[in-house]
Amino acid sequence: MSSSYSNYTNSPCAACKFLRRKCTSDCVFAPYFPPEEPLKFANVHRIFGASNVSKILHEVAPHQREDAVNSLAYEAEARLKDPVYGCVGAISVLQREVLRLQRELEETNVDLMRYASCLGGETSAYGGRRG
Amino acid sequence: MDKTSNFETYGEIVIKVDMGGPGSSPCASCKLLRRRCAKECIFAPYFPPDDPHKFAIVHKVFGASNVSKMLQELPVHQRADAVNSLVFEANARVRDPVYGCVGAISYLQNQVTQLQMQLAVAQTEILCIQMQHEPTLQSHHEVFELDQDDKAHLLHSNNNSINNCNNNYNLAYAMSSGQLNSNFASPSSIIQMQMQDPLKQESLWT
Repeated sequence: MSSSYSNYTNSPCAACKFLRRKCTSDCVFAPYFPPEEPLKFANVHRIFGASNVSKILHEVAPHQREDAVNSLAYEAEARLKDPVYGCVGAISVLQREVLRLQRELEETNVDLMRYASCLGGETSAYGGRRG
Repeated sequence: MDKTSNFETYGEIVIKVDMGGPGSSPCASCKLLRRRCAKECIFAPYFPPDDPHKFAIVHKVFGASNVSKMLQELPVHQRADAVNSLVFEANARVRDPVYGCVGAISYLQNQVTQLQMQLAVAQTEILCIQMQHEPTLQSHHEVFELDQDDKAHLLHSNNNSINNCNNNYNLAYAMSSGQLNSNFASPSSIIQMQMQDPLKQESLWT
């Protein structure tokens, strides 16, 4: 887990720098938005807003907050790159891929059964000749 | 996207689109925000008054002003899709506050990986059957004309090629049954992977 604890040094976290406020020792953002990653908070703030992110962080258990922040950052970045669909576009593509693979697997299994039954037929015919 | 019906699909995700304009009743967003619903209200076409939950959940996750800014930056013909995807993301985030949509991406990517492995197993089986079938017919013809040493040599080399085929089959089967767990991605690892190489969407399923 990346914990910068920048509030314990003179450097405010990226969130407090962006919001131009004092970074206190109990800043909820500080462990997850280090000052060397200003874009991460800027993106999240632009899409979700600081107060919404703060609410989400308070709702989840402390050991899950890093994952929550990273998933928010991922979604925010996806939304900025694709303002219409965000990461839902990726879900759609993956769903189509799953359907395509399921169809291909079905067809391959049908071929496999066909091969297996052909081999069974030829072997018994050959066995008859040898016998 | 199927635009001829009231349902638009993201693959298998079906989301109802309501395109009602502002009527005498304020839209769901202005009702929630307790303000007058103006004629040019940006939310009104997409948040009808009969579906208050839709705006409530988007407002909870993204905030009304952020949604308004996002919609203003888009051409009008893309706003319905944008609202629907925001609603989808907001619902996912409320259901799973830690991972939101990323949880769904992780799940689907694992499904893709599993299916690819199962496909590899099936294709390997077909290859094995083909390899067993053709050399067997030829080698049996030759066996009747060769002496014992030659027969033993041919049968030994035939068994080796079948064993190699079976080894590949066993490896592919082990991967597909999850015995080689390193191939399965967790939401955390997906996030880490994407944070290092931002949003190369093709890497999600290669």
